[in-house]
Amino acid sequence: MTRKLIVYPAMAVICLVALFPFFWMIITSLKPDTEIFTVTPQFIPHEPILSRYTELFSGAIPRQFLNSLLVAGATTVVTGLIALLAGYALARFDIPMKRYLLIVILSIQMLPQTVLVIPLFTVLRTTDLLGTYQGLVLSHLALTVGLATYMLRSFFMDIPVSLEESAMVDGASRMKAVRLVVFPLVWPGLAASSIYGFITSWNELMFSATYMQQSSRETLPVALQQFFSSYYSDWGGVMAASVIFTIPVVVFFLLVQKRLMQGMVAGAVKG
Amino acid sequence: MTSTTTGRARHTVAPSRAGLRWDRFGLPSLLLAPLLAVVLGVVGYPIVRTVWLSFHEGEYLMTGAFNGVDNYTEIFGDPYFLAALLRTTIFAVVCVVSTLLISLAIALVLDAGSWVARIVTVVVLLPWAMPRVASGIIFKWMFNDQYGIANWLLVSLGFEQFKGYAWFNDGFASLVAITIAVVWHSVPFIAISMLAGLRATRGEVLEAARVDGAGFYQQLLRVRLPMMKPLLVILGVMSTIFAYQSFDHFLVMTTPPGGPSHSTEVLSLLTWLQAFTVLDQGVAAAMAVVTFVLLAAITAIYVKLSKEGA
Repeated sequence: MTRKLIVYPAMAVICLVALFPFFWMIITSLKPDTEIFTVTPQFIPHEPILSRYTELFSGAIPRQFLNSLLVAGATTVVTGLIALLAGYALARFDIPMKRYLLIVILSIQMLPQTVLVIPLFTVLRTTDLLGTYQGLVLSHLALTVGLATYMLRSFFMDIPVSLEESAMVDGASRMKAVRLVVFPLVWPGLAASSIYGFITSWNELMFSATYMQQSSRETLPVALQQFFSSYYSDWGGVMAASVIFTIPVVVFFLLVQKRLMQGMVAGAVKG
Repeated sequence: MTSTTTGRARHTVAPSRAGLRWDRFGLPSLLLAPLLAVVLGVVGYPIVRTVWLSFHEGEYLMTGAFNGVDNYTEIFGDPYFLAALLRTTIFAVVCVVSTLLISLAIALVLDAGSWVARIVTVVVLLPWAMPRVASGIIFKWMFNDQYGIANWLLVSLGFEQFKGYAWFNDGFASLVAITIAVVWHSVPFIAISMLAGLRATRGEVLEAARVDGAGFYQQLLRVRLPMMKPLLVILGVMSTIFAYQSFDHFLVMTTPPGGPSHSTEVLSLLTWLQAFTVLDQGVAAAMAVVTFVLLAAITAIYVKLSKEGA
């Protein structure tokens, strides 16, 4: 009983700290300026307004939103495909130097982004991909494929080989066995690595700010950072832009959180 | 089924004789090809290139003549770089220690495992999904001098000196606010991983300890944490690297980036500014290489420590 007296209040505090910034962002975006700039904070807006959102939607935000969606979507799909193939190969075949390959894949995750940002700029400039969607997607792959492959490999390893074998004994080719028997079971893993790829790409700032700055193809993190530095005192507007920026990831996250947790748990326990 | 498995293939599907060669070499190579292309093209090549650039002149993002270790002597003679190196290290230590402790506390609370805990688990992971740029902006607003909720709270708690306190006019205070924002963002992932690790320690050993009369803290310190050591090392490495890489929060929350007067410059921000604002990619590449070597060394130390104790 005493345990519960500690655990439940602690959970309440945890939720409060985790959720308050979300709450405050939304509330601030709905308040007129007179209610934002008060010494004693108003937790509930008296006269909520939506004009900040309508203003933003008549500006460049819809375009930037689509840009971000396109880049993050493409990164997610490509990451998923690459990781699915490589994860299967690493789980099922005796590959020479597999141990080292796995170490390399994991250590990609540990690389400082600053090591990649300069040469990738040169690569994109010489290949004319600077400021294009493809260029940014390519740079985001560097951040996503490592962990995604590792996650999917651990999911494949959980699926008994005997399932594929019996399908192959029954006359199916390996491709058919994999497609009909294995892929349906590996869906949770694909969901987990997809959300990971999507969130990484959607939120990424350093590459986006470097490669997309002078472009109508700029993505939301870049736009928001620039909006913030130019409309410094328009806190309501900045908060509304932040809400628009945050909603897709949070929705996506809530939809697949169960799968994501499974993926993370698999990663954590197997190390 | 056993009739189809040859002696050597226990974990792999036994291929037909005709397809043996294809199945052992062709197919896996084909499956791995896209990954290897990405790893070599957008990771491997850039690393080599950065190292190469760090030994060359590189004004205006054009690669110039070989200049030996000039870039390195320049940065190690640069007080701003040395200050940033030290600042990043202190910032990382504070971030890692607080992230790990807070995460462990949260994981222990959630380990109770009722339906309430399951919902709270989702809530805990939510900040991880918020874009870092957005969270930086929100924390900057919460730490606003006149209208920020942080100052209001502190004053309400009786700390009158925080009335109108300008957090971002001073390097140290800025770093405190940024640290809070970064820890808020990095705790979720670590906490949920720790929770998974804690759950995995339940079983015979823990039961035996309980039967022998071990209390909550004894169970935790003598049984569960030692069992979790490999995981704790990985999480330690990960959060150290997160902290050393912090960029978004610094770019958004400080004006001008790294200010006031260079007092919040950290390695990643300084490197980026050096490359794309000062436009000296040679010096920036040298900074990136130093960061890379430093992180590799830290990772190696963690791994060594984890092997010694076990």
